[in-house]
Amino acid sequence: MGALDGIRVLDCSDPKGHFAGKLLAGLGADVIKIEPLGGDVGRFYGPFLDDQPGPERSLYWWHYAAGKRSVALDLHSSDGIELFLWLAADADVVLETWQPGRDRPFDPVALTEHVPELIVASLTPFGQTGPWRDYAWSDAVGLALGGPMGSCGYDNIPDSPPIRPTEHHAGHISSYFAATGVCAALYERQRSGLGQHLDIAMHECMGFTIESSAPWALYEQHPLIRQAGRHAGPQPTEPWQYPTADGRLINIFGMPRSEASWLALVAFIQKHGMGENLSDFELLDGRKRQLGLQQPSVATMLSDIAEFIAAHGAEEIYAGAQAAGAAWSIIRTPDECLADEHWRARGFFVDVEHEERNRTVTFPGAPYILSETPWIHGRRAPLLGEHTAEVLCGQLGISHEELGALIAAGVAR
Amino acid sequence: MTDSEANSRPPLDGVRVIDFTWIVAGPTCTRLLGDLGAEVIRVENEQTLDSIRFGRPHPNGFNPPDSGAMFNWLDRNKRSITVNARHPDGLDLIKRLIRVSDVLVENYSSRILENWGLSYEEQQAENPQIIYVSLSGFGHSGPQRDYSTWGPTAQALSGLTAMSGLPEAPEPAGWGYSYLDHMAGFTAAAAITAALKHRRETGQGQWIDLSQVETGMALTGPATLDFTVNGRRYRESGHPPGNRSVWPQAAPHNTYPTAGDDNWIMITCTTDAEWEALCNVSDHPHWRTDRRFATLPARLRHEDELDEQIGSWTAGQDGRALMQRLQSADVPAGVVQNGVDLVVSDPQMQARAWTVTRQHPVIGEHLTDGLQMHFSRTPAHRDRPGPLLGEANQYVFSELLGLSDQRIAELQTNGALG
Repeated sequence: MGALDGIRVLDCSDPKGHFAGKLLAGLGADVIKIEPLGGDVGRFYGPFLDDQPGPERSLYWWHYAAGKRSVALDLHSSDGIELFLWLAADADVVLETWQPGRDRPFDPVALTEHVPELIVASLTPFGQTGPWRDYAWSDAVGLALGGPMGSCGYDNIPDSPPIRPTEHHAGHISSYFAATGVCAALYERQRSGLGQHLDIAMHECMGFTIESSAPWALYEQHPLIRQAGRHAGPQPTEPWQYPTADGRLINIFGMPRSEASWLALVAFIQKHGMGENLSDFELLDGRKRQLGLQQPSVATMLSDIAEFIAAHGAEEIYAGAQAAGAAWSIIRTPDECLADEHWRARGFFVDVEHEERNRTVTFPGAPYILSETPWIHGRRAPLLGEHTAEVLCGQLGISHEELGALIAAGVAR
Repeated sequence: MTDSEANSRPPLDGVRVIDFTWIVAGPTCTRLLGDLGAEVIRVENEQTLDSIRFGRPHPNGFNPPDSGAMFNWLDRNKRSITVNARHPDGLDLIKRLIRVSDVLVENYSSRILENWGLSYEEQQAENPQIIYVSLSGFGHSGPQRDYSTWGPTAQALSGLTAMSGLPEAPEPAGWGYSYLDHMAGFTAAAAITAALKHRRETGQGQWIDLSQVETGMALTGPATLDFTVNGRRYRESGHPPGNRSVWPQAAPHNTYPTAGDDNWIMITCTTDAEWEALCNVSDHPHWRTDRRFATLPARLRHEDELDEQIGSWTAGQDGRALMQRLQSADVPAGVVQNGVDLVVSDPQMQARAWTVTRQHPVIGEHLTDGLQMHFSRTPAHRDRPGPLLGEANQYVFSELLGLSDQRIAELQTNGALG
């Protein structure tokens, strides 16, 4: 049983909210993806199975739609919207991502008036109001305007631009607020019996997700300097990423604070016959090891550490430093994460049957372990319109003849 | 309280949260809960204060523990008590607090609460319905549960650092801040609100075990599947791609320089219609008829020339004026803004009152930033500043737990409080 067991969500989102729907499905809600007849745009995002595009071959879709059902319905037709409103009358949550001035098939606020118990979450680039409300948008444009990208980039490559991290993070960030807002509204509804409208502006979600840039801006109007692989800051700081002997990189942020941990790290390095300067008495003072202050003691320390890292393999350095209590890490690529026994032991990666293709696919799984209401990965992503009949006939009770007519008329699929 | 008053209270009104969090990840979670109306009680200890209380800037002078802007930003809407959990009487007091609370959140290393005598089982003994959230780097199970992380450690291990950077650079740009501290906090808030809903229905509490690295790996779906399904390793395909597109494919899709020092505009054209609109508003209508740029596949093949031509066109232009010109033609374009831009010169943020002025007893008048969830009936709030250290001691010890003044004085003397 999931925490949202018994909750039905009509998910009309495009990629802005695909992760929000996935989160609600993982928490146990029955998430019905309402798709246009040609298929959700996410079905045409790669990568694709064997690099061959097709609406059932998108690995993006496989990931973000897993555990959802699919109803293909043309919401821009009068019959389609009528069926949708009928479905909404019996749903708990509607999730939608249309910008208010852009061909929106229904007014989300009016929908909450139509069905007073319904929670309607509008996850849009800039919210329901304001001069940029209908600005043309993409995830990268969102990350540029919203602040996260302004802190990412290189200090050591002249004239290089700010860098936007890949993989739909404007959507990821904002989807968490949509999911949290929906759960909070459901919790509140248990007491009041009432639904409501939720206006979530991705731009505002990102404006919070910039860590120390926010207080420096709010209190001092002080911009931060972008730096490669480490925190942007009011002043330049020392590098954290160092190449290993096997062509990988180690991140050394997390120098030991306690003396015991520092001595253990020094012993680990010196066991390999390196790091002579790390015995410097001065470095026993935790403040003299602190990165970010451009101290001469740190420069010597880092030079020895860089030399040690350059002479050894990443896995050995990572395990030894962590055993000493230093929060160092390997900079891994996603494919490398699968080899780590720790995540296997915790059951993070899950295998899902794709029966039509006669294969089992390994997915990244739950972002949390709930002891009593486990995350539900659910079935493989739905085929386009796979559940149209199940929902429209089984749930709304229209006849198969009526459905046939709707399909013939281009309203459903 | 009338029905209509009760029905406009914030959604988590009446929820009490014991907050054993520090640095950024845990406090991000409890800031969301506080904004949503929960009563969040930070349990602090004078010997081991949250280092964020000392973090810069200190706009009204360096006078910790109550003068820091970062703490006030991250810990608004919360209360603070000072208790020593390693003292038997302090531990007893926390157990009494658990009995009258709904949620306990902590983001210490994985054995700390256990060592104090506050494992999930021990919390349950006080309050069977408690929702306990442990937020750590590696989670509370598995062979590496004793490894430690900061945000950047977790980002590196999850794959997210490697997925941000210029393709030819010797190292990734990664994230210029602790992205996963925020994301793990958001993840915890989503899980807690769902668990509260479940508990109101069933009376059942639970333990939410959250690993920061897992919250990051959960955001790498398509790249991970490209490996598990297609067998393609991330670096084989020229990744990371700088600011060019991954999926959906788009060209142009990049940052281009504009007038001034280090100013940039992001322009992305996923469709031919967007590209044609760009050509029409540009001073280079001939781009439209250039065969190298006629279709998306052609533009992707000639992306170097495309980027060079667009960059020459944008260079020297005012970024905001250019954004408006492109937007007027419905071309996705946005200048790269930093935090200061959001606060000072963003008309959208201003129209939606993203910042408001608040008072703090030590910092004085200051700006606090926006709410992210706008509920039509039960608005969230941002009315309380971050708590002074121990400011809620009287409220919690005396009003909530019913301790006599004499007992409070004893506990102060014997080291259980403070």
